[in-house]
Order: sequence, then structure tokens, then C-alpha cells
Amino acid sequence: MASCRVRFENVTQRFRVIQERPDTLREAFTKMFRHGSRVFDFDALRGISFTIGDGETIGIVGRNGSGKSTILKIIAGVYHSTSGRVEVWGRVAPLIELGAGFHGDLTGRENIVLNGLLLGLSRREITAREDRITSFADLGDFIDSPVKQYSSGMYMRLGFAVATEVDPDILLIDEILSVGDAEFQRRCVTRIEDFRQRGKTIVVVSHSVGTIQELCPRTIFLEGGRIAADGPTDEVLAKYSKALEGPREAPRLIQEGARSGR
Amino acid sequence: MLQLTREIKRNHELIWALALKDLQIRYKRSALGFLWSLLNPLLMMVILTIVFSTLMRFSVKDYAVFLLSALLPWTFFSQGLSYAVESIVANAELLKKVAVCRSVFPMAAVLSNLINFLLSLIPLALVLLVLRFPFHLAWVYVPVPLLGLILFTMGCGFFCAAANVFFRDVSHIVQIVLSAWFYFSPVIYSLDLIPKRFRFLFEMNPLAYILNGFRLAIYYGELPSLASAILSVAGGILAMVAGYYVFRRNEDWFVYYI
Repeated sequence: MASCRVRFENVTQRFRVIQERPDTLREAFTKMFRHGSRVFDFDALRGISFTIGDGETIGIVGRNGSGKSTILKIIAGVYHSTSGRVEVWGRVAPLIELGAGFHGDLTGRENIVLNGLLLGLSRREITAREDRITSFADLGDFIDSPVKQYSSGMYMRLGFAVATEVDPDILLIDEILSVGDAEFQRRCVTRIEDFRQRGKTIVVVSHSVGTIQELCPRTIFLEGGRIAADGPTDEVLAKYSKALEGPREAPRLIQEGARSGR
Repeated sequence: MLQLTREIKRNHELIWALALKDLQIRYKRSALGFLWSLLNPLLMMVILTIVFSTLMRFSVKDYAVFLLSALLPWTFFSQGLSYAVESIVANAELLKKVAVCRSVFPMAAVLSNLINFLLSLIPLALVLLVLRFPFHLAWVYVPVPLLGLILFTMGCGFFCAAANVFFRDVSHIVQIVLSAWFYFSPVIYSLDLIPKRFRFLFEMNPLAYILNGFRLAIYYGELPSLASAILSVAGGILAMVAGYYVFRRNEDWFVYYI
């Protein structure tokens, strides 16, 4: 863990949330013409700090809405944190939602090229990888059919195949190992193992305790946008499952959103 | 601007692929496919020629050439802008998941319509041949207003694409403005038909200089005045600088609003 791949320092991510609960009949009526009647702020992350070292495989657990995916999207560069400091070194491959950017009318093969370009590969790099991608996705003749005719499993297979061929320094995995049949899942796990052995950094978000245990030596447990525990997976998972038995704090919106630029 | 050239350089393959995808999808499952790029302006020309040359008796020789020389660039502008204004919102799902350079989407929208525009020059060439229209040396001037036109369209596209993220009304407004703009630009008529006291309206319209440049060169075989030539490119540069500035200032916020 000599060098560092990801560093979060006191990171807060604030979202604008629109509430459309009409209080009066008149409000319900005017709401049809007026958008964003009331705006609130919601902090998905509240001052989070952690570092991920080079070659580390780290799990992130937490309930729905605890901020797991937000962390991944900040690492991927989709969100820019509201405050705090974020540093990421190296190429990131977001397996956040597979097949984002696939176009239904294009064939599998055409989508490989487009998706590869979107993920930052050059055309030459894609051509060099195309055979490996098609053989990993293993879609048979469907590779030359429009992807709108794919089953959801086939769609995911192609997405996973493209995203992992990007050859990233940091691989972000958000709850995707639940797709595909058992055989494909096994191949995904093998591929992730392979990444790990090549010294890549991997961040796994999952609700499956088994997946986390299998892949990650270290785990972060998020609760309400804060880090509740960070450490060896067994210890953190023990705290996590204990917390799951307790009552859940419902997400709450804060103050009328008047501050912060937009 | 330096930033923009860097973005184009880094993403030129992606911009191309997106533009070609656009065209590919536009004509997918249509029997005539790419031929529509050629047929559209021809049919448009036939309609407008019948209306203005035959029914309303505009006394313009070779009205078809007169019309097409300004109508084709106009169509590029209006289509390019209509595509660009939607380009960020239409790719919302993608932008929420992958950190991709955001300016590629309006650029691809304009590029795909630029390709369409260049294709539509083929029917124009056919019309020239059929009418035995004389060849003019001034045709070599066409790249100048074309440059102005591309920059102007791109600049407006950047601005409207960004604005449309925050106010979806923009795409509706753009359609209305475009149809008004069409009639207030010298496309179906020539500037000479406009009474002197209304000329100022056209002097404020950057597109008028651009369209006029196209028409002067292609139809009249003349060069515009130096002032008009400079204005046609300057308008484009100004729109580009302003539009891209607004886009850049706001692009980090897009993801929260789409």
C-alpha cells in the first residue's frame, strides 16, 4: 500500500431535492404549472474521509441511501463534491451501471465501439480488444443484432465485457455481480480476481455479504452519509449486521435550499 | 477556447462516432435510408418553388438556385440547433453514469447535421446541372460563410444545450424563435425586397450576413463587401466564444439537473 489511488478528505455531497407534496388544493393545482415548488437540501455524504491504496480491494456496505453509490460516482468523476477534497490517480472504469450508453438500435458490435470510446479508449485500442470482448460476452450470433433485442442478462454481459477490457487502474463495481447466470457470475468473479492479482485497485459496493467477504480484505460501512466503521472486513461486517437489526433512521431533508450556488 | 481545441483533439473519434450514430439511427428502418438527406432538400425546394415562383410570382430567375443557396445553409443551422439543444438532456442517463466530456454531445449533434448539409449539396449540384446554371469563380468563396455558419451554429448550440438543462422551456422556445428567424432572414426572398426602414433588422442578424454570403457567391457569382465577409465570420466567432463560455461555466452542474 505504498502509493495511494483515491483520497477523500472531509467530503460532503449535497443534492437538491424537490418536494412535491401539495398542502392545499390550490397548491396541487398551481403545481401543475409551477415546477420545483419547494426545494430542500439533502447531504448524501457528510464529511467523509478515507484513502484507498494502490492494489487494494475494498468493499463498501450500508443500507439503501447511505451514500455508497455517491462515493463511486465521485470517484468516477460524475459528481463533483460540494465541499472537501477528492483526489483520484489513474484510469477509472465505472461498472456502475453496465451498458450505460448502449444504444438500442445499434448492434452489439457497434455498441462495443461506441461504449469503448465513451469510456475513454481510442478506436485502435478497441479494435485490438474487440475479439476478447466478444468472446468474453459470449453472445453468439446476437453480437450483430441490435441490443434492444437482447435479454437483460445479455445486455449486462456485453456491458461487463466492455467495461473490464478498458484495463483500468481503478475498477468500480456497484452491485452487478447479481446479474447473469451462475456460469457468467463465476467468470466475472474470476476476472475480478485476475484484476486483483495484477495489482489493480477495486472498489466493490454490494448488499451481498458473501461477495464482500470473498473479495475484500477491508470494508467501509456507511450509515446516513457518514463512515460508521472502516477496517478488516470481518469486524466491519459484524457491526453492519448488528446495525441492520436496529431501527433504521429515515433519510431527512435539511433546510430550505437557499444556499450554495445552484 | 484553448480548452475546446484540447477537448476536440482528445475526443475526435468519439465525436465522429456519435455523429455517425446519429445519422445511422435517423435513417434506420427507412427504405430509402441516406437518400432522405438528398431527397429532403429537393422536395422542400419543389414546394417552395411552386409556392413562391409560380403561385406568388416572385420574379427571380432560376428561383430554385436562388432558394437553395440560402435554404440549405439555413436548414443546417435550424436542424443543427434543434439537435444540439436536446443533446445534453437526451444523454442524461449516460452523463449520470460515466464521466465523459460533456461538450462532445452538442458538437456531435452539429457535426451530424453538417454531414447532412454537405450531402445536400449534391442535389444543389444536380439542380445547377439541370438548369445549365453558369459556373462562377466566386464559388470558391463559399468556405468563408460556411466557417461562419458552423461557428455560429455551434455557439448557439452550446448556449441552448446548457440552458435547456436548467429550463426545459428552452427547447420549445428555440423552435418558435427558429420559425420567426426563418422569415426574418433572407432565405425565401432577397434583401432588396425589404423596405429601407426595416433593413436595420437584418443588419443586426448575424445569419443574414452568412446566408447572404452563400447566396451572393453561389447564385449571383459575386463576392460580398469586405465588411460583410468579416461580419459573417465575426458573428460566428462571437457566438462560439459566448456559447462555449456559458456551457463551460455550467457543465459541472448538468448532472444534478438532468
